[in-house]
Amino acid sequence: MTSAAANTNILVFACRWCGLIGADGAGRRRTELPTSLRIIPVECAGYVEPDAVIRAFASGAAGVAVLGCHVGGCRFNDANHPALKRLELLKTLLDATGIGGNRLLLGFGTAHEYHQWADTIRDFHKHVEGLPSMKSWLPATQ
Amino acid sequence: MAKIGVILCNCFGEIGNTVNLESIRERLASDPSVDFVILRESLCQPGDASAVHAMIRDRGIGKVLLGACSPYGRMEVVRLGLAKEGVDVRTVRAADLREGCAWIHGKDPGGATRKAANQLDMELALLQNMQDSKDVDIRVRHEALVIGAGPAGLSAACGLARMGIRVHLVDRGTAPGGLLNVVTKVYPTELSGPEKLKPLVEMTGGNPLIRFYGKTKVASVKGYAGDFKIVLAGPEGSANLRVGAVVLATGARLLFPQGLYGYGKTKNVITQMEMERQFATGNVACKTAVFIQCVGARCAERPYCSTICCPLSLKNAMRVLDEVPGSKAVILHRDIMTPGSVLEAYYRKALHRGVQFIRFDADRPPEIRADGQVSGVEVFDVLSGVTRSIETDLLVLSTPLVADPESAALARMLEIPVDKHGFIAEVYPVHPVETRNDGVFICGTARWPVSSDQAIAQGEAAAVKAASFLRKETASALSMSRVPGSKLGHAQANADACTGCGNCVAVCPYRACKLQRVGQRSVSRVIKVRCKACGSCAAVCPNGAMQIPEQNYKVTGAMIRRAFREVR
Repeated sequence: MTSAAANTNILVFACRWCGLIGADGAGRRRTELPTSLRIIPVECAGYVEPDAVIRAFASGAAGVAVLGCHVGGCRFNDANHPALKRLELLKTLLDATGIGGNRLLLGFGTAHEYHQWADTIRDFHKHVEGLPSMKSWLPATQ
Repeated sequence: MAKIGVILCNCFGEIGNTVNLESIRERLASDPSVDFVILRESLCQPGDASAVHAMIRDRGIGKVLLGACSPYGRMEVVRLGLAKEGVDVRTVRAADLREGCAWIHGKDPGGATRKAANQLDMELALLQNMQDSKDVDIRVRHEALVIGAGPAGLSAACGLARMGIRVHLVDRGTAPGGLLNVVTKVYPTELSGPEKLKPLVEMTGGNPLIRFYGKTKVASVKGYAGDFKIVLAGPEGSANLRVGAVVLATGARLLFPQGLYGYGKTKNVITQMEMERQFATGNVACKTAVFIQCVGARCAERPYCSTICCPLSLKNAMRVLDEVPGSKAVILHRDIMTPGSVLEAYYRKALHRGVQFIRFDADRPPEIRADGQVSGVEVFDVLSGVTRSIETDLLVLSTPLVADPESAALARMLEIPVDKHGFIAEVYPVHPVETRNDGVFICGTARWPVSSDQAIAQGEAAAVKAASFLRKETASALSMSRVPGSKLGHAQANADACTGCGNCVAVCPYRACKLQRVGQRSVSRVIKVRCKACGSCAAVCPNGAMQIPEQNYKVTGAMIRRAFREVR
């Protein structure tokens, strides 16, 4: 892994009903995307606990994206609504610790269309590229 | 630990031309939990599924990892093929190497291979750590409770009885019929309300499968789909029922226009319901009847259209012309809402019959002239731009249907949500007669204002939906997913780790988590039938007591750790 790639590692939690469909659509249209992207499919954005986001940063992610359905259009009634609030709150915690809330991208309802998905990822990739290295945050062994 | 078999699909070069599958094969083969790694040209072509099945069977493999295409592409064909061969597809996972790697990282084969290796690693971690949600079967009681015996409730009850299901039909009134009982002519027919409902009412009376409970209310509801425990409170005391499904058909009521257009203070300003009663007793007397539409509807407080008021006014205006010789009828409207072929023809009929239509603007509503008794109306006609003065001796206010507060109380009891106007919320968009609580169905105006014809159609729909569930002997909790295929699993509460904080109860979108008293403390319990495995409870549990076994915290942790692990 080159150091340049290490700076832009993006872990995406994509809900199976929106985010993952966007990823599939982008793939079918062969939209070129950065290779530093990894996806964890989840049933619902509501499944993503704040702890998982922090662990992602500890495992080498420079940016984490949680992509779910529209608020009000969740496959699981309104499960993504408390998730959105929870993760917005996490952003303030990330700001307080110095990691920065801007390393966490919340996309609710903007990701189920392939072009939006690709734009979201490209923009976030560019944004994360411009942020300082996460190296100092990681354990010495890595 | 069950051995894992890995099968990588080349997709005739679509994957292999970008991703270095050979290096990935070597890498995966070194994992101790992996039994074999095989490269195949395809997985979705004829014969592939049986070949894969033979391989799994011969090697005694419990879990399968596929490296192939996106779950929405040909993977559905692959999974279906494997399921047909008898493979338990719950233990088959796939990493997306085509849409997710080869097709979007064509310019960087090295990066694509690293990503493919990581994604396969993550899915491997899932297979290594996943557990199985033990499925539970519930015995389905082949009886249904229908609340409300208006057009919707009657048609639901009759529909269920026709399919051989015992029905308990409950109504707060003494006789079935609902709002239609006071209507002497139902648009667009010539029939009275009771005449229209006669076939349905006769069937409820004559069918041994239907029992009608008059003057009865639902006192309490416990349980879940397949086995609801109901307590009814009626004139002969309370009754206990155990039913498999509940159909809510409690209807709505018409808004009482207190304070609008002088209603309540001025003589001869009446509502449509009072007009119906005048027709029933036969003492309609007027020279000019003026109908005002959208009274208290399509305004800031109630922005919706109540569907029934325009045809209702058309009907009553024509009736005035028919029954009072020499009379005139004028309808003051904001828009005439008569969708569909039948109602549009009804509107044309009213035009030809001589009913006058004047369109007014919401910002300039008609003003009435009255001196204890209504004498005239001033209205600004927006289509011709002039103010018209109409002499009148009968002013009829068309008010919308509004939610019944008793429906809201029932909704709380049945743990289903209501919308901001108090109507029962359906599961939008593809489950129009179902609610958030499985086994509870809705129809008629409890759901949204509809005509009696539509209410009857919805009652039939709810009956079919309820019957398709009730006809089963047992229902598996994993099958109750509302989406194609079974659900991921269901949440499990670890009673030893649970502190009874109630976070899961607050966050569960299906009201599947309940706190239960165990000795001195409260612990959470999951109603597995209701759980849809969204994982919200697991996300908010401070102790990790709530888990979805298929994607538990070990799975997620391992997947996150492997996401960016260095590849050689």
